[in-house]
Amino acid sequence: MYSFLLHVATLSCIYALFGLALNLQAGFAGLLNFGFVAFAGVGAYASAITSSHGYPAPIGILFGVVAAMVVGFFMARLGRNLASDYWAIATLAVAELIRTVALNENWLTGGAQGISGVPALFRSASGVQNDPAFFLLALAMVAIALFACVRLSRGRFGRAIRLMREEPALATSLGYQLVPLKVKATVTSAAIASVGGSLLAHYMSFVGPDYMLASETFVIWTMVMIGGLGNNFGVVLGALLVEAIYSAVPFAKDYLNISSDIAGAVRLGTIGVVLLGCLLVRPGGLLPEKIRSAT
Amino acid sequence: MSTMLRLQDVHKSFGGNSVLTGLNFHVRTGEIVGLLGPNGCGKSTVLNAITGYCPIDQGLIEVGGQPVNGLSSHQIAAKGVRRTFQLPSMPTRMTVREVVMAASTRSHGLFSTLCRFGATRSLEHETRERAHRLLEELLLTKVAYLPAASISGGQKKLLGIACAMMEQPALLLLDEPMAGVHPNLRSELVTTLRRINGQGITLVIIEHDMHFISETCSRCIVLDKGKTVADCLPSELETHESVVEAYLGKKSGGQYQVAGVIA
Repeated sequence: MYSFLLHVATLSCIYALFGLALNLQAGFAGLLNFGFVAFAGVGAYASAITSSHGYPAPIGILFGVVAAMVVGFFMARLGRNLASDYWAIATLAVAELIRTVALNENWLTGGAQGISGVPALFRSASGVQNDPAFFLLALAMVAIALFACVRLSRGRFGRAIRLMREEPALATSLGYQLVPLKVKATVTSAAIASVGGSLLAHYMSFVGPDYMLASETFVIWTMVMIGGLGNNFGVVLGALLVEAIYSAVPFAKDYLNISSDIAGAVRLGTIGVVLLGCLLVRPGGLLPEKIRSAT
Repeated sequence: MSTMLRLQDVHKSFGGNSVLTGLNFHVRTGEIVGLLGPNGCGKSTVLNAITGYCPIDQGLIEVGGQPVNGLSSHQIAAKGVRRTFQLPSMPTRMTVREVVMAASTRSHGLFSTLCRFGATRSLEHETRERAHRLLEELLLTKVAYLPAASISGGQKKLLGIACAMMEQPALLLLDEPMAGVHPNLRSELVTTLRRINGQGITLVIIEHDMHFISETCSRCIVLDKGKTVADCLPSELETHESVVEAYLGKKSGGQYQVAGVIA
């Protein structure tokens, strides 16, 4: 039971990183990124590929961050003349493109088989992964990302991107340049997501193209929306909650005598019901964005 | 006195509709100039053209002696030009105070925000103080902590002016600042605008309210059909033949043939 809870907590931390990153773009900068999972996927693959060539893990994480930032830069530049809804579709296309490349370029990504045997970051004396140490690392990463996101969103940069989100014409009239602001928000978000992706690769010791399925993006969106779009703490709560529901379903399955076949559907169904309930009862999420009275 | 703003032979048409047809006028540094004209004569288009929101087809626009046509809005803003909007729309998820603070556009980089060096902290402090003063000056202190979208239309106009003033512009273009503002605040707005002008800021004001114009402006430029038809003192407006003509139409046989809409 302890190791199971630790597993849930670790995954929650990784998803909290994704949530924080998506929130920076979607919540504060108002950029509807439907291809968000590409950043996490790029981070995961970068870690897996570099470590399979024998480089140490920090190099892989760093490489992933740089690669994801490059993807983020091009994604944001792609959208410089697109309305937000069209940009959303374009990001979806970019993510699918990257996933398709990962699926087919066997020499680089292992194709459909993915890359297994990504080394564990910490090993206990018996040689298996040291889960508590990994959890602490993931927790520390969430703490750092949370700190950074809170500072960015409250400070001068945050005010600029929030003004851009709501009143772009007013923002330009005051001298803000919208495209660089969008690029900065997207690139920062990509860097945070990539760290999450690298952690996931090391934790699961596996990377496959399924990591970049569009449905993954929407799971992250669900977390952000349940927790509260535009609220950093809400997003972390949302990630924890959705991950908890995900993990609780197998128990409910035994309790309610649901067959294993439909357990997966029950999982998604439960998340859907929670999301729907949340949208109806608390459209701003559990912790809605604070309209800041003082900064 | 030097010229702050100069428009020379400016043409702009939207499809087959020519809005500006060879417009010429200039504004000297330190003036308060009223921009008048019947509805549809192109006043707002002039503002959009100067601030880069609507690129002109032909002609020259100079701010402080430098051509600005062809530049984008943020580049023109960087030259110290600020504007307000005729129908200002304000953020729903930011307070009035925060919107004013967001109008301080200096040093909003990622790293400076993240690291909060001493310089950023003192800039934040300065921004907060200035926002406080501007909110006070524009009578918005009471609503400072409300969502910006929730305040009245007139208050949004004042908020627009507060935002435009945040970085001490050289040239301030106001699109109907009086429309929707509570009548009791009128005289205070006149005083405020005069004080802003006293700081050396050149003002160009689009307005229909004649009393307001005569109280505030030192000179009036009247547009009709995309051209300047009069450049005179506010006191001369009522007797200026082409102004009367622009608003009431040509006089023929003792009767006006209405051409423009009386605003």
